Amino acid sequence: MELSINDVCFSYSSVPVLHDVSFKLSGNELVSILGPNGVGKSTLIHCINKILSPTSGTVLIDGKDVSEIKLKELAKQIGYVPYSANDSFPLSVIDTVMIGRHPHAKWGTLDSDLDMVYDTLRMLGISHLAMRAFNELSAGQHQKVMLARGLVQEPDILLLDEPTSNLDVRHQLDVTKMLRRLSREKGILIVMISHDINIAAKYSDKVILMHEGSVYSIGTPREVITAENLRTVYGVTAEITDDDGAPHVILKDALPMDEEEEGLPSPASSGHASAQTS
Amino acid sequence: MILDSAAVKGQYKSGNRKRVVWTVAFVLLAIALFLVTLGFGVFKISLVDAVKAFFDHLLGNEVDPRVDEYIWNTRVPRAIGALITGAGLSIAGVVMQNDFKNPLAEPYTMGISSGAFLGATLGIILNISVIPFVPSGSMVVANAYVFSLIPVAIIALFSKFRKLTPMSMILTGIAVMFLFSSISQILMVTAPSESMADAYSWRVGSLDRVRWDAVPMMLASTVVLSVVLYMFARRLNVMYVGDRSVKTLGENPMTIRLVTMVLASLLTAGIVSYTGTIGFIGLVGPHVARIFVGSNNRYLIPASAAFGAAFILFADTVAKVSGINGLPVGVISAMVGGPLFMWILIRQRKNVWA
Repeated sequence: MELSINDVCFSYSSVPVLHDVSFKLSGNELVSILGPNGVGKSTLIHCINKILSPTSGTVLIDGKDVSEIKLKELAKQIGYVPYSANDSFPLSVIDTVMIGRHPHAKWGTLDSDLDMVYDTLRMLGISHLAMRAFNELSAGQHQKVMLARGLVQEPDILLLDEPTSNLDVRHQLDVTKMLRRLSREKGILIVMISHDINIAAKYSDKVILMHEGSVYSIGTPREVITAENLRTVYGVTAEITDDDGAPHVILKDALPMDEEEEGLPSPASSGHASAQTS
Repeated sequence: MILDSAAVKGQYKSGNRKRVVWTVAFVLLAIALFLVTLGFGVFKISLVDAVKAFFDHLLGNEVDPRVDEYIWNTRVPRAIGALITGAGLSIAGVVMQNDFKNPLAEPYTMGISSGAFLGATLGIILNISVIPFVPSGSMVVANAYVFSLIPVAIIALFSKFRKLTPMSMILTGIAVMFLFSSISQILMVTAPSESMADAYSWRVGSLDRVRWDAVPMMLASTVVLSVVLYMFARRLNVMYVGDRSVKTLGENPMTIRLVTMVLASLLTAGIVSYTGTIGFIGLVGPHVARIFVGSNNRYLIPASAAFGAAFILFADTVAKVSGINGLPVGVISAMVGGPLFMWILIRQRKNVWA
């Protein structure tokens, strides 16, 4: 499975968000996308799974342009776990996760589907929530249920938008570690947006650092996460130490805000545009 | 406590069996109320005699022709009308609430009732038929049917030109509703008093008008559309996850929304054109069913239909014995249903919607 992004540009009406994004990723990896707010991380993910169509450029899966793949077929190849702010609906956890089986829906697969759902819940340590109502759960539990939904979809590529943002530190470590293991065991490509540089650095095979709507640096955590890059992209000073071969960031201070940043697409403008595209 | 796979599966399946049991219970309740309502009306016929007359007619036995005439030609079609109305409007309610992820959505959300009413008033007050060559007896029904679909058509048309969010679709429906209502109001104030009374009685909704001639159309439309909508149950479940995620699960949310919305509108139109706008059940039927069977549409749709049918049969029975010559069921269903629903909301421990 090869995912190839070629010169992708995207604008919300006239506000450019992504420009000339290009990179190639292939199977069995955990890849983290890092970058400041509003840099276009979610937009990039949405261009990959056809929630949005790039203004120009192409996204290819094994050489095939996603714009030519039907939604139904694409759903078997790419799974997506959205950033869950307040998604809430009145189903049981088990029924919620079962929705992830929809692209593979056939008659008479209830038992095998239930087995898969159970195993996934078990792996995430939430099998005891199976019969609970989804909207009675905490934000962290929601996130794990959504993750389970993405996993039972059995995609070749799994895209995750801040999958651990609502989890406590232990579960952040646990889930990220598990994602890396899954990429190996199931031979899938997992791409996640992250705001925790250290956890991303510790477990990711590759890191994509985004800056002003394009890829600033891509490579192993050691190559990408440098004091200099963080200074440019995030506007922070930091000291990088070594943690078992992975870079570990100790944040020192924020640089003073400069005028240039006003020109960046703000989260408010992308929120507005998303209302039109959903 | 960690449950093993078999235990979870067992619990899941037994949960689903309970949902089926509740649905069957509602169906049995509806059947019982169907028979009970035959015993009530303006003329006093005992319940036993009425039910006997019904079965005798079915079995081809001798019946007192006066009783037979009255039970078979007046009360039976009316009871069938009640059953169809409750079931159909509840299903339309489930679909609307699901499509718009909004617990306040109901069959009339898209302006269907105001459209139907405008069509009816045009016929009743101005004697205008929108479809040429319709016999005068069917004019009001035909008008109401055609007009009830206009708001939905407008929304569907809008969505071709620009991307409408579910919320802007509802707002468009409301805008059309106000427009149509104001036109109806103008017609009402300028109308002679007897046709105004007719228009008003149409507005509140009544099963008085349902006779055998109405049953085939109502029944066929409701059965066919309900079955088709039930085939969307699985896709309607997928709609719960929100439009973006729906796409990544291989479905186009806007297509599902538009198609099911149009089907639900046709379903509603096929009923209200005959009965007038009976409110409340389309909103409350699904919510009550939700409390018993949850929100998985595979169970929610049939359970809502069965509960809705039972509820309107009950409300119409009350309506028939109220006042001197009976009251419109539209009034009674809200009067009985309002307090019932409030009681359920207070009693309910868990939040069934969101």
